[in-house]
Amino acid sequence: MDYFDINLQLTEEDIELRNAARKFAEEVMRPIARQLDLMSPDEVVAPGSPMWTFLRKAYELGYHKTLLPEVYGGLGLAPMQIHLINEELAWGSFGLSILLGVCAFPFFAACLTGDEALIEEFVIPFCSCTDASIRGCWAITEPEHGCDYLAYEDFFRSPKIRGNVQARLEGDEWVISGQKSAWVSGGSIATHALLFCQIDPSQGMAGGGICVCSLDREGTSKGKPLRKMGQRDLNQGEIFFDGVRIPKHYMFCEPDFYPQMLEMILSSANAAMGIFATGCARAAFEEAFQYAKERIQGGVPIIQHRSVRQRLFDMFAKVETCRALSRAVMNLNFNVSPPLPEYSLVAKTRCTQMCFEVAHEAVQILGGNGLTEEYLTEKLFRDARAALIEDGANEALSAAGGHIIGQVCPRSRADVFEP
Amino acid sequence: MAVFNDVEVIRKLFVDLWAHLIEKTEFGPQMREANLSVLFVTKDPDVHMYVDGHGVLFGEEARVKDAVITMSMSGDTVHKFWLKKLNLPKALALRQIKAKGPVPKMLKLLPLLKPGYPLYEEGCRKYNIPMDV
Repeated sequence: MDYFDINLQLTEEDIELRNAARKFAEEVMRPIARQLDLMSPDEVVAPGSPMWTFLRKAYELGYHKTLLPEVYGGLGLAPMQIHLINEELAWGSFGLSILLGVCAFPFFAACLTGDEALIEEFVIPFCSCTDASIRGCWAITEPEHGCDYLAYEDFFRSPKIRGNVQARLEGDEWVISGQKSAWVSGGSIATHALLFCQIDPSQGMAGGGICVCSLDREGTSKGKPLRKMGQRDLNQGEIFFDGVRIPKHYMFCEPDFYPQMLEMILSSANAAMGIFATGCARAAFEEAFQYAKERIQGGVPIIQHRSVRQRLFDMFAKVETCRALSRAVMNLNFNVSPPLPEYSLVAKTRCTQMCFEVAHEAVQILGGNGLTEEYLTEKLFRDARAALIEDGANEALSAAGGHIIGQVCPRSRADVFEP
Repeated sequence: MAVFNDVEVIRKLFVDLWAHLIEKTEFGPQMREANLSVLFVTKDPDVHMYVDGHGVLFGEEARVKDAVITMSMSGDTVHKFWLKKLNLPKALALRQIKAKGPVPKMLKLLPLLKPGYPLYEEGCRKYNIPMDV
């Protein structure tokens, strides 16, 4: 279903990009996502799975490189265009959109370093890849550490908290050992990782490092993909490192600025989650809206019942709010460096919450049908539920946001722009 | 002590550098094609420098320009950048560089500056600017 865009400044190019993404989301992503949702996690990642069809088609069209600049072979899109495309993709599937996003994550991060060697080795081959043979993942979460990665709690610097993945420098190589948890999105199929590890345990979780590495190195192995409640089309799984050696320059961030770099990366990811949640919320609203026009109760379509109309309007308002908020934050944080993390946290926590509320209400409007796998709404509800925890539980993120605004609010323009 | 203590030296050094980049490298055509412009705002010393595919402006003429990208940093950070002694992600993360403008356009800019590095070193030698930072 189309929607009226209240931004009247969109260019013809913007609209063309959005329409092309919508076509792909409708014709490719949605049918494949529904197939994958009914499969076991092993079947999802098996050779011949429709997940591979999706990835190959997405790469052929360049949707894996929406974040990357033209100069390295990326699409070189403006922040608004990145939003327009990704809302459509998430309308097609929340989980597959995240998969595509994490496929790009190590390469996007390598790009930001400006390091020619990393760009040559990782970024340019990724941008020129059209068969989905190069796939990234975001290897941050660990079995013992989820919200421990939030840099605003006292325990973040406690040496009592030991990372599950350790890296030590031996000559010109880093040697990496340990385990990432089953929540690594795209981890089961990734060829590369944006890997977070602990370098200096005396600083606790603050003593971390971030590197880009391929996952075909000796000592790397993977666990089974995880079975979970929502976003079953997004494979997630453990990655193990047993004395894996990588060249020194792959570690582009060390403890001297790790907390700040972590904040920058989380800001990008949280802003993206706001966009994906907008797409999913819109999908849930549309399902309920269409159903309400067709379902007859009391002799009339249920949209004619006052209570249903009121609830549909609340859902519509939430979708519009999600879009306005996530666009504003995308425009802000992809236009200032370093980004302002509190706004990305607003986008992630609010948009995923509203997405969940819309999906919940959609199930309610569909009644018994909303509970069945026969209707897309049931999947959208499960997908939306997962997003309240994914990329940081909203409560923990809100606590982090509260800490940040306590420190920086109100920000001055000088704080953001002046040297 | 700050590396640059003479604004006039900065002006001379960068007039030469940008002129070369614009006229003799891909920088000029690429900047013009992308309609890209950058305002550098430095502190210690206070300098406004505006660059696009056509040329460079300084001072008040630069300050009033509406650039696509604005980059703010100290003179020492500018110096380290051109000497390739700056860890860029670290400088951004630690807010030693603050930038405004679309991230993809900033990333487009970086490789275009590459031919300027040896020229900058030459300029440092010419104007006796220390390079052992």
